[in-house]
Amino acid sequence: MASIIGHNPHSNSIGYSFSQPTNAGNKEHSFYPYTDNGGSVLGITGKDFAVLAGDTRSTSGYNINSRYVPKVFKIGGDQETGEGAHILLSVVGFAADGLALKERLDAVVKMYKYQHGKPMSVRACAQRLSTILYGKRFFPYYVQAILAGLDEEGKGALYGYDPVGSYEREQCRAAGAASSLIMPFLDNQVNLKNQYIPGSGEGHALEAKKPEPMPRDTVEQVVRDAFTSAVERHIEVGDGLQMLIITADGIEEIYHPLKKD
Amino acid sequence: MNHFPGTWGRPRDDVYGPYDASYLRSTGPKAHTQSPAVTGTSVIAVKFNGGVAIAADNLASYGSLARFTDVKRLRVFGNAAVVGFSGDVSDMQYIDRLLESMDIRENYSAHGNQLNAKNLHTYLSKVLYKRRSEFNPLWNHILVAGFDGDKKPFLSSADLLGTTFSAPHLATGFGAHLAVPILRRLFPEERPIDEITKEDAVSALRDCLKVLWYRDARSLDKYSLAVITHEGIEVQEDQQIEAQSWAFAETIKGYGAQVV
Amino acid sequence: MMDQLVRQYSRSPHQNEFYSEQEQHDLTEGLPPLSLKFSLPPVANHSAFLRAMTDDHSNPNCPIKLAHGTTTLAFRFQGGIIVCTDSRATAGSWIASQTVKKVIPVSRLSRGEDKPGSEPVPGLLGTMAGGAADCQYWLRYLSQQCTLHEIRHKRRITVAAASKILANLTYAYKGYGLSMGTMLAGVTPQEGPALYYIDSDGTRLPGNMFCVGSGQTFAYGVLDANYRYDLTEEEALELGRRSILAAMHRDAYSGGFINLYHVKEEGWVHHGFNDMNPIFWKTKLEKGEFSNVTSEL
Repeated sequence: MASIIGHNPHSNSIGYSFSQPTNAGNKEHSFYPYTDNGGSVLGITGKDFAVLAGDTRSTSGYNINSRYVPKVFKIGGDQETGEGAHILLSVVGFAADGLALKERLDAVVKMYKYQHGKPMSVRACAQRLSTILYGKRFFPYYVQAILAGLDEEGKGALYGYDPVGSYEREQCRAAGAASSLIMPFLDNQVNLKNQYIPGSGEGHALEAKKPEPMPRDTVEQVVRDAFTSAVERHIEVGDGLQMLIITADGIEEIYHPLKKD
Repeated sequence: MNHFPGTWGRPRDDVYGPYDASYLRSTGPKAHTQSPAVTGTSVIAVKFNGGVAIAADNLASYGSLARFTDVKRLRVFGNAAVVGFSGDVSDMQYIDRLLESMDIRENYSAHGNQLNAKNLHTYLSKVLYKRRSEFNPLWNHILVAGFDGDKKPFLSSADLLGTTFSAPHLATGFGAHLAVPILRRLFPEERPIDEITKEDAVSALRDCLKVLWYRDARSLDKYSLAVITHEGIEVQEDQQIEAQSWAFAETIKGYGAQVV
Repeated sequence: MMDQLVRQYSRSPHQNEFYSEQEQHDLTEGLPPLSLKFSLPPVANHSAFLRAMTDDHSNPNCPIKLAHGTTTLAFRFQGGIIVCTDSRATAGSWIASQTVKKVIPVSRLSRGEDKPGSEPVPGLLGTMAGGAADCQYWLRYLSQQCTLHEIRHKRRITVAAASKILANLTYAYKGYGLSMGTMLAGVTPQEGPALYYIDSDGTRLPGNMFCVGSGQTFAYGVLDANYRYDLTEEEALELGRRSILAAMHRDAYSGGFINLYHVKEEGWVHHGFNDMNPIFWKTKLEKGEFSNVTSEL
């Protein structure tokens, strides 16, 4: 317990009455440290792969900053090419926070490899990301993150996060500006929510369909449909779709143009 | 902890005091100590075949007063990059000192200054992000023009929050509204950068500056223009907007839509 | 010498604008950092800042919406402790997830796979209501402390001691803006079945029965009406399930799946993570309850 008391946040306020030796004190409050750069991301897992996709538009207010700013990153690989990476991270929200988070996690994964001589498992990386996010509990990273990779058994693994690090392993997850448009579509098409086997009964006796892991080409088509639909109804989504697919053979990147209006 | 579903798990007024919305930008009294005083307006830039062109006018405004009419807002870094600043001029000068000392340090090192525009942009965006995280921002929006590690033209932006993005043509401030649409029309995405000549790029920038001079009340008709190619950096600092025609202004009444 | 003089009398034209060695180390440090080092926003009143950013009740337009958990219950009876929760997480009026695991195993020995109906797993159970991240993080921290306790003292920590660690923590962070209402349940040789409630105000209460969350009143209603200490195991499990079902039905912030656990002497047993919808219709059509709802199609 000593270490807890040592780091007790209240100990900051125990100071000398005559002066504050630090630069605490008259700080300005009117500066607003966040912005929202829009866009959406989406991840779906399959039996032996995981897909993480995001649009490439960057906005501020009604302006389009750029039509190509990727939101999905390879973690633990070469800085430029991403070669050797085995984990994917997507961040949506405030892009500068997202980039800072991505670089931090990337450094952590590389340090792990250096110190342990083996790549970090997705499970370990997922928990570590949660801890990193929670480390800024009182000044949060304004991001919704999704982490993807292959688990110890080679199955697709996907973890969804809130801005301060609560996380959960899921089959699919959408985040960002159009998440409220995409997530219901995924509930229906991936988790087969509210779909029943025809003729299996009457009324309440109808039997619900059981979700099965989908093959890769179906998943890619669902991702494309999700984004082309989101582009039709959300102003902050568009321009391009960047899709990263992780399998035992490595990471493949696919780019699809989206409407640019 | 009470039984009201909506409030549950949320901060209670009796523990945390009333909700204070003044932390959100639009409300509450505004303190001016951290907002900029002397400011520069737009910077605009375009990539072309074999380089990048960047321009900004020579005005530093004090609120609505056109205070200093000979302020150079394009800074050359080594022989590799040009940085264009909009926003607070004192913070611009501070960053300039920072860059100068870094340039000197790099030149004294054994390998010589090998930082390219991309490296410089990474560094500057991290400085800006760190300062925003300290709630002590450097109140600028900058464009960095030059070449990346593969000797390809490089153009990228960073703002006071640390947000970064790159595109074939960029503009800050009012230019994001007025110049970017013009540049997107002149150089649509389908048109490869190889087809854009240096002359195309420079004349497009001059046109954009003219439109900005017509419509941006914080702009000036004297400007600086820099062109970065593999041959080197060419800076012209005392350019004048030519062939002005204010005839269009005579027909404008009210906000422009008014006819009588 | 000259250099020194120059350095002494000249001032650097700028402050050191980059991350210090220590800061860089902190950003990438190799050890798992379940630490108490949190970065605070550099403003005078950081809890007011945090609240302005994240309190979606006072300001539905606040920029950062955090996931919140909702109805949880636990009660003691002759056969041990029943722990039951819903699975919905909301961010404002948006349902962020319907599959949240709001029962979190605490302590090293319970890291095993969580399969329903399998052998009892030794260890404590914690529940999650309030801020999802707060509960997950601090229960993880508690798990670490419990494991350390086990290593140091060669015996499992008591529920009383574990709950005190958590309560001390939430009390130390009182006023910082944490939001959690958690229950710790476990059976130890020293205490027998023990149940504690701990929240982010620093409250720590031992008790026989708690319901926590926005649906707590609905759960209490069913629980109080049907609770007896000498319930059989079967009856107790059904009562836990039925109480959560009532809360899911009446409280908009609760729903999804019913997550049911039984803690006994040998450890905890998971009794399923089941969709509430078929259970609701079964309850209605077979037992004639919920007659407020029509079954006409």
